[in-house]
Amino acid sequence: MRSSASPRSTSRRGSSTDERNARHGRSRGADAVDGLWLALALLAGVYLVAVIEEWSATGRVRPAVPLLAGLATLGRESLVPRRSDRILFEAAAPLLLGAALLAAAVLPLAPGLIVADLATGALFINAALVYVVVALVMAGWGPDAAYAMVGGWRFLGQLVAYGMLIVMPLTAVAMRAASLSTTAIVASQAALPNALAQPLGFVLFWLAALAVCFLPPFDLPTAPGELAGGVFGEYTGARLATMRLARLALILTLAAAIAVFYLGGWLGPVLPPWAWTAAKTLAVAAALLGLGRFVPRLRGEQLLAWGWQFGIPLALVNIFWVGVTLLLV
Amino acid sequence: MTPLQQYGLLLGMVVATVGLVATVYLIARSLGKTRGEPGKDVPFTGGTLSPKPAWVRYHIHYYGFALLFLAFDMEMAFMYPWAVVYQELGLTALLDMGVFLAILFLGLLYGWSQGAFKWQ
Repeated sequence: MRSSASPRSTSRRGSSTDERNARHGRSRGADAVDGLWLALALLAGVYLVAVIEEWSATGRVRPAVPLLAGLATLGRESLVPRRSDRILFEAAAPLLLGAALLAAAVLPLAPGLIVADLATGALFINAALVYVVVALVMAGWGPDAAYAMVGGWRFLGQLVAYGMLIVMPLTAVAMRAASLSTTAIVASQAALPNALAQPLGFVLFWLAALAVCFLPPFDLPTAPGELAGGVFGEYTGARLATMRLARLALILTLAAAIAVFYLGGWLGPVLPPWAWTAAKTLAVAAALLGLGRFVPRLRGEQLLAWGWQFGIPLALVNIFWVGVTLLLV
Repeated sequence: MTPLQQYGLLLGMVVATVGLVATVYLIARSLGKTRGEPGKDVPFTGGTLSPKPAWVRYHIHYYGFALLFLAFDMEMAFMYPWAVVYQELGLTALLDMGVFLAILFLGLLYGWSQGAFKWQ
């Protein structure tokens, strides 16, 4: 549906955006149209990530499955466990979704096509992603269930392992761009994408992105086959549907972040800018979902030990390396 | 857009997210209600209702990492503004932050030698 309808109309809109930007003072209507496209891109992106997730698990591409599975989940009963902390239990899923969407809001789809081009975008995305931890600990605490609680505490430990590996590679990215604005960061990669200029940071950020999305091999809070669902275990019906939607949005956001910070975002020949961002984001999402499945799940203690004994020294080396190359080149 | 408008937009996104979730819940409510049957709302513990709540004191085995995490997280607050002006200041910036990071890295090595990176 998306592939037939949106590309033609978006490319038309893309050219007119440039004209509008040339005359400064964009009309309110143009902003509203941009907002509509961004919302559509988010929806389409989340849906496609759901299709990719299905493909990574079953090896089959079935575009209708997310829609049908979502409807089926909505049709089921949504229970609240007895003795639950109702506020935390209910707030966790919207908070996870909100965190993912806020982080996505500072990532550009194309020049000018961004929800909020904050001067502190690279910092804001960190702030938004921290709420993933808050949401998962709330989801673990809320239902007063042993397995969920174990999953929640595990993810808190996971944050200690991956937290610095989100922040420190992004520092090196900001050094190259001399700005925290995400659009400036994309523009700084015109000569060479950051994935090649800072390969060490790219690998570390990739692994940290896997850990934020709690995808295998870092799926400690849900741990299929081990924790009886973990933090998702007590959620059913509409609440589970929201939780899964939030997780998909989170994967999309992190894939877009990798595309923007390391793969040059909208930069690329021939195709319109938005198509490059979309293609890179979906390719990264497929790799995030696909590759981890071939690695056994790490234990929490291994994750923490490796994160601090190898990850953080390497991240410091990366900052130093980027600093020296920026002075020399 | 001014920064104030941008943050207004982000606040609007938060409100819209809450609205979206409320809509999903309303759709689900319109499809059918949850029947209150006994035993249905027991959290999964392998068949029985756990005699004790799950909210017990939990041994944070990773507290050594967590303390170092605090130190490094504070350090990042200085790194971001430094990263923005790095190319402007050049070698001075590299040396300034290099000394700072070297001291911090020594702290990491000291923590490592004292067994901070062990599951306690």
